[in-house]
Amino acid sequence: MDRQKTTGKMSNADLAEVLSQVRAGDNDAWGELYRQYAPAIFRFCRRLLPAREDAEDATTEIFMKVRQKLGTYDSSRPFTAWLYKVASNHCWDTLRRRRIRQDLETGDLDTLPLEHPDPSQLERLQTEHTSKEVRGGLAQLPDRARMALVLRYFAEMSYDEIADTLGVRRAFVGVLLLRARHQLRDALSGSGDVSTQRASAGGAR
Amino acid sequence: MNQSDGHFDEMTALLYLEEQLDAGRASEVRAHVGTCAACRELLHALETEGVWLREALSAEDESIPARMIAAPERGAAHWGWIAAFGLGAGGAYTLWSGFVEPWLTQASQAGFTQGNLLTMLFFTGAFWKGWDSMRSLTEFLAVATLGTVAMWLLRRHWQRFTAIAFVAGGLACALALPQPVAAADVERGNPSYTLAAGQEVKTDLIVTAERARIDGDVDGDLIVFCNTVSVSGHIKGDIIAFSQELRVSGPVDGNVRSFSQAFTLNSTVGKNLMSWAQAAELDEKARVGGTVTMGVTNLVLNGSVGGDLLALAHSAEINGSLGHDVTIRGDQLTIGSTAVIAGQTKFTGTHQPDVSASAKLGSPVQVTIPKRGPNYSGIRYYWHQVMFWGASFLLGLVILLLAPGFFFDTVQASKRIGAAVGFGALFLFATPIAAIIVCITIVGLSVGIPAILFYGVALYCAKIFVGAWLGEKLLGAGVGIGAAIGRLALGLAILRALSMVPYAGFWVSLLVVMWGLGAVVLSLHRRMGAPAAVAA
Repeated sequence: MDRQKTTGKMSNADLAEVLSQVRAGDNDAWGELYRQYAPAIFRFCRRLLPAREDAEDATTEIFMKVRQKLGTYDSSRPFTAWLYKVASNHCWDTLRRRRIRQDLETGDLDTLPLEHPDPSQLERLQTEHTSKEVRGGLAQLPDRARMALVLRYFAEMSYDEIADTLGVRRAFVGVLLLRARHQLRDALSGSGDVSTQRASAGGAR
Repeated sequence: MNQSDGHFDEMTALLYLEEQLDAGRASEVRAHVGTCAACRELLHALETEGVWLREALSAEDESIPARMIAAPERGAAHWGWIAAFGLGAGGAYTLWSGFVEPWLTQASQAGFTQGNLLTMLFFTGAFWKGWDSMRSLTEFLAVATLGTVAMWLLRRHWQRFTAIAFVAGGLACALALPQPVAAADVERGNPSYTLAAGQEVKTDLIVTAERARIDGDVDGDLIVFCNTVSVSGHIKGDIIAFSQELRVSGPVDGNVRSFSQAFTLNSTVGKNLMSWAQAAELDEKARVGGTVTMGVTNLVLNGSVGGDLLALAHSAEINGSLGHDVTIRGDQLTIGSTAVIAGQTKFTGTHQPDVSASAKLGSPVQVTIPKRGPNYSGIRYYWHQVMFWGASFLLGLVILLLAPGFFFDTVQASKRIGAAVGFGALFLFATPIAAIIVCITIVGLSVGIPAILFYGVALYCAKIFVGAWLGEKLLGAGVGIGAAIGRLALGLAILRALSMVPYAGFWVSLLVVMWGLGAVVLSLHRRMGAPAAVAA
């Protein structure tokens, strides 16, 4: 999975150089880092938070955190992974503060009966909806389901990273993703009431 | 196999695609899909869906906000905060030492304490015995609404303890307001009320009538709302009167506060006298133990006053005696031959005072003929301008750092000059009218009072956004929060300088208020009307 698709085009060597300059207090390097990664982080926040203004504010706050915490970044790990981790923690905190965990905790797939999908129906869904419509459908999902899809298919996070961010067991991440996919299909096809499924969209520690 | 029909379920298929199955299980799936067309088709559909999701989510088909181009700067605001807090402290000191403290001193000299001010303001139980409960309910609703709105505005920063402390502190202050006394004898005259000589009221007496005649004694305060009031009995507390005509000829142990067209005193007042009237007269028999504070058109003082005389009077005539200082601001002052003033006499007015040579004065009259308009040659004037600028800048910093989204949006809205000024003009005049209309009903108070408060705040904030716009216009689009602070400081300084220009300054300030207010309205409208959709 290639995180660089959603972030800047800076090479690893350039990135390492820029990061060391930022650590040394170089404002130009900080500006360069921001220009490279801010658009992707803004889009990431945009997919998670309810309004464009929220995403703008969140992006600013995330980068302020990044600058504060840059000393804790382990350069042996990919920078984008760390960046998305900071961003996802921030967005998840924001959503949790607002909703106070509307999602109920469920931990058993048996409580989540899922209809086996019809492949041709899935294919039709994909051809009939634009990217914008998909993001519109995403907005209708419960916070945790939306987080799971964005962390996985936008930020390209591993199951471990998703589990850590959302505070669920690793084994439950697959359940979350599958459930979220079903909810998105329902939202796009208009066949299901997504809001009624919110109660069963959570995960368990 | 997970399902009874011999196929893998969707969960297993997804985990297989996402490479989350262990090697053994993955081999099983791989082997099965080699022979099962249905499972192969499912795997293909899920895989395609994953690609489709990735493409949809990572599509770069939406604009990136202009301010995302600039990096937020760590610590860039430190110097601004230090400067702003320094200015804020200076401003607070100036306000306290220049305005609040002298006012408090004068109020204290005039006998105003928090308790009797509240009594006067709330006149508990004047019309209805259940008023206390209703007022408490109204206050509670108003405070609750205000608190809710504050929390809503601060919701994004709720985790910050300063915000919590701010709201909780505000609520605590509101709840900590001292409760006014409730025990009182309430009398309604139809049309007149008389407390006959020899009768005595043991509590406070509150009278509403066309005419009131108080010949008897009152142990507590006398509070009257009447057309004409005559008091010849002994009042052991204060007199608080709202009337067209008030005549006090009986002894008063406490204070007298009157809001009357005509006020006459020819008896003793133990403490202080304060009167707002068209004509006020203290005749030869009048004796006031404390301070006299007057806001009158015509004042005649023939009696004696133990304390100071503070008067705002079109014309004042003093023939009596005063134990301390006299401070009068008005048009004309006459000091007669029988006048005795032990302390200093200060007069600020348009005409030289007429002082009898026979008058006994502690010191010569100090006369100040004020110049109209601000004193441009005084350093104090410019110091105040700097303080006003500092206060605006400080508030601008707070908004910028606590709600950068709102700040930049509103500055952006300021660029639509025509719309902003138009909406601003509309809201400038319509909001107070609407709020007052809403306040007519008791329940409406809980909406009207916060609306008026926020209207006031928005009016004050208006110049901040126009200033930020102006700074950006002059220096170009900035990079980061630090640049925005610099532009804000420059813009506000220019606006402050423009507002100092004689005559034109007023119109500039009015335009800025309308412009900024309109920008705030446009910005709020945009934010509140923003669709809840995550992805547009």
